[in-house]
Amino acid sequence: MSLARPHRTWTAGFALALSLCMAQHAYTATRAAAPAADLLVTAAKPDRLFVIDAAARAVRTQHQVAGANGQIFTIVLSPDQRIAFLLVDRMERIVGIDLGSGREVFRAELSTSAERVKDFFALMVTPDGKELIAYELPTQLKPSEYVVEEPRFAVFRTDAGLTARPVRSYPAPRRIHMLLARPNGQSFYALGFDLYEYDVKTGKLLGTRGIQKWALTDHSQPDLLAFWPVSEPTGVFTSPVYSELKKAGGNVPMTALMSLNLKSGELAYADFEPLSALIFSTILSPDRKHAYGVYTTLTSIDVDAHRLEKRVPLDHTFYAVNVSSDGREIYLGGTNCDVGFYDAAKLEKKAILKLPGCSDQTLSTLRVIRGK
Amino acid sequence: MSIGVEKYWKSWAAALLLGSSGAGAAQGAAAVSGPELVRSYCSGCHQEQAGKFERISDIRKTPEGWVMTLFRMRQMHGLNLGDDVRDALVRYLADTQGLAPAESAAGRFALERRPNAQDIDLGPEIGVMCGRCHTLARVSLQRRDEAEWLKLAHTHVGQWTSIEYSASGRDRPWWQIASGPLPGKLAALFPFSSSAWNEWQSRPVRDLGGSWVVVGHVPGGKDFYGTARIERDAGGDFAAHYQLADVTGFAMNGDSKAILYTGYEWRGSAQIGARSLREVYAVSDDGNRIAGRWFDAAHAEEGGEWTAVREGGAPQVLAVLPQSLRAGTTTTVTIVGNGLGAATLPVSFGAGTSVTKVERSAQRIRALVTVAANAAPGMRAVSTGAAVGKLAVYAQIDQLNVVPGYAIARLGGGRVEPVSAQFEAMGFTRLPGGELLALGPVSAEWTSMPFDAEAKRTEDEKFAGHFDMRGRFLPSAAGPNPAREFSGDNVGNLTVVARAADSSRTLEGRGHLIVTVQRWITPPIY
Ligand code: HEC
Ligand code: HEC
Repeated sequence: MSLARPHRTWTAGFALALSLCMAQHAYTATRAAAPAADLLVTAAKPDRLFVIDAAARAVRTQHQVAGANGQIFTIVLSPDQRIAFLLVDRMERIVGIDLGSGREVFRAELSTSAERVKDFFALMVTPDGKELIAYELPTQLKPSEYVVEEPRFAVFRTDAGLTARPVRSYPAPRRIHMLLARPNGQSFYALGFDLYEYDVKTGKLLGTRGIQKWALTDHSQPDLLAFWPVSEPTGVFTSPVYSELKKAGGNVPMTALMSLNLKSGELAYADFEPLSALIFSTILSPDRKHAYGVYTTLTSIDVDAHRLEKRVPLDHTFYAVNVSSDGREIYLGGTNCDVGFYDAAKLEKKAILKLPGCSDQTLSTLRVIRGK
Repeated sequence: MSIGVEKYWKSWAAALLLGSSGAGAAQGAAAVSGPELVRSYCSGCHQEQAGKFERISDIRKTPEGWVMTLFRMRQMHGLNLGDDVRDALVRYLADTQGLAPAESAAGRFALERRPNAQDIDLGPEIGVMCGRCHTLARVSLQRRDEAEWLKLAHTHVGQWTSIEYSASGRDRPWWQIASGPLPGKLAALFPFSSSAWNEWQSRPVRDLGGSWVVVGHVPGGKDFYGTARIERDAGGDFAAHYQLADVTGFAMNGDSKAILYTGYEWRGSAQIGARSLREVYAVSDDGNRIAGRWFDAAHAEEGGEWTAVREGGAPQVLAVLPQSLRAGTTTTVTIVGNGLGAATLPVSFGAGTSVTKVERSAQRIRALVTVAANAAPGMRAVSTGAAVGKLAVYAQIDQLNVVPGYAIARLGGGRVEPVSAQFEAMGFTRLPGGELLALGPVSAEWTSMPFDAEAKRTEDEKFAGHFDMRGRFLPSAAGPNPAREFSGDNVGNLTVVARAADSSRTLEGRGHLIVTVQRWITPPIY
């Protein structure tokens, strides 16, 4: 983060993320009436995939993902919400797990013996569910040296089974950290230095819009690094962005909310407060009026007025945030073994669910399977 | 990073030290020539061509640099390497592909593992590109041509994917810079071929055997001095016997065993009193001076200075202890050096001083020195014959500086030892002309307080740790503390306060201390 001063909780937070299951307050899960029939999907070290009944505040199923090798990174759901595609094995393998049976139905080994390929979090499934696109950072492994190669997008058929190989691949820019499918199925967004749009079939670059090159003359270079392509339930992806507002008396660090409407392509970016608390990730409420952000605090942002609405401290760092389908509850995850349930209007804690085995969710996506 | 790696480093912590692999085994590996070892252990991956091994023959590094590389060959590339072979390889590679003294000078602080040292300045571009994860000293302690600097950039991105995504990496096209203009710039700064290295290699090997005069300093503690007797064994390694005492006369005797890498890099493992110490010293070009830093084997941050000069050399003063005297006092002063013994030569401490009770040997003078109450403050020349040193005379202390002015301490706990921070209060007097005269360390009372409003709000001074009597900050245990906001770690942002009484006044000096999280891995060159 290009923050003016080192932030204590930033380092402390990562330290927390490094250590496994440490002293936490114990909270009894209240089995209150269900606000929505949502199921949550999250993962924890070293290889656990959890499906949680949000209303019951209870783990419904737990799968052990073979070959996860320590950590499950990005989680992407198939459009029918039956399969969870997971980036695992030190970012070198993508597996598809049937959430009902726990069976592995898809596997793509990105690396070969001659080439180590890592995918830095960026992963998507096309809206028809037929193709999966991964972002590949390849390194040729020669006997006595590494040779960095140009990145590429690799397209897999989701029905390719356990020996999936790319059916197409095409050149990609460096430093991409997120892929987002557009609902029309023809193109997708890649987020990195800038926001790029690519043709799914041909890999043709359709357009580039500024992030680093954001045409804001009164701001310093913005800083955005988002890990999780979560745009449900609205089809709008949001993320905090940090930059400094240039002022005569000295620059002022600001926090902005960027939002990208995947359907219309509308991209907006507006400061909502002078930086006063770090936010790791955000989610837009179903009515699109509020955005909720987490890190050491839970923040509610008035999206139309570009205003901070409310902020409450959390018991510890949370990285991941999501929202219930009816918009009444906020779900928190991404660190430790706690999944938090908060009242969206009051930002009050309603319950904390401890994952069985209590191991760390380290940067795993928190997904919602939306009730019909 | 993973704890497994930390464990491996621990098992390699004794690398570079004599006896780390057992004498018998070392001799076995040492009996095989260097090139033969490289051929049998490395050429499977590093092809041999016309007497050169791919990559290996194109880089020069310090002994610590070679240890780090071999560690990676074993840890990441599966090279099966016993400690004895490793030690023989490091000797061979550091001797034949090392750095000349002039080349390692700027980065020595990193080899010496000095805590809170100022890193070298290579300009803003290299500073951000290469100085955010490790010191630039690590960079400056290698010599390569452009092609090899480029390969190192490939290694970084190929091995540490997040390098392009982490802070100060993602704000620029990191790879494009690292693989574009940077290798050429690094090669211009730190080239493989140099006249310094060519000249160094053609120098005769110095025999360090004999008797040496030693002076040293323990930060937060006392100055010490004495003699070292160094013997060279048949294999070319060294044993040293120390007879040392601090200024109060407390004996600090002990022994050391050392390897001399590259003809000047002394790496010793010493036992002094109950303490196991490491020695990272450099021998001067003429072979008559050995200087550097020693530190605790388990706590590299705890250590001090060391200078030894060969006994019997030209007359010289190595140290005057204490280094300052107050007007109107009488103090026993020790001069340590060479050629001090001639009873016919007078000993002078300069204007306004008088000397009684002089005891002297060739390496030491002890004298009772009285400074007149009206002696003018200022620097005095301390001399006997051709040997000249310095002594500061003062009437009062006018300023107290906390040194280092900025320090980092790390929480300890679990498998990771805490890292303490040692401060000293340095006194100064103001001369009539307005300039400050350094008086050396002053004993002080140590406390901490919040550095800013945020630190005050989170009560950092309550959680982060405490001072001992000699200016050492001992950090608390790591881990989430339920008593803190967000169950935070015991980190802190503190102002360090030193107070010293000087006649009727109390002087105060301040420094800045960050108490931060544990570091899992501390490689030999940080
Ligand atoms: C199993 C294969 C393998 C063996 C055996 C091996 N290496 Fe390497 N070495 C590599 C690879 C791969 C790299 C490039 C990646 C890296 O630097 O880690 C490398 C890189 C190097 C480098 C360049 C590192 C730098 O500073 O940029 C040196 C020097 C080196 N090896 C020395 C050795 C020595 C000495 C040996 C024998 C004791 C050895 N290697 C044995 C695989 C090997
Ligand atoms: C993201 C952190 C990071 C950045 C930025 C970085 N390094 Fe490193 N560097 C590392 C790590 C990690 C190692 C490996 C240490 C080890 O082998 O244990 C390393 C090792 C090295 C070594 C020792 C390699 C050897 O085998 O002897 C050198 C020299 C070096 N880096 C130079 C550079 C240069 C030059 C740059 C800028 C172009 C740079 N580093 C930028 C993390 C970084």
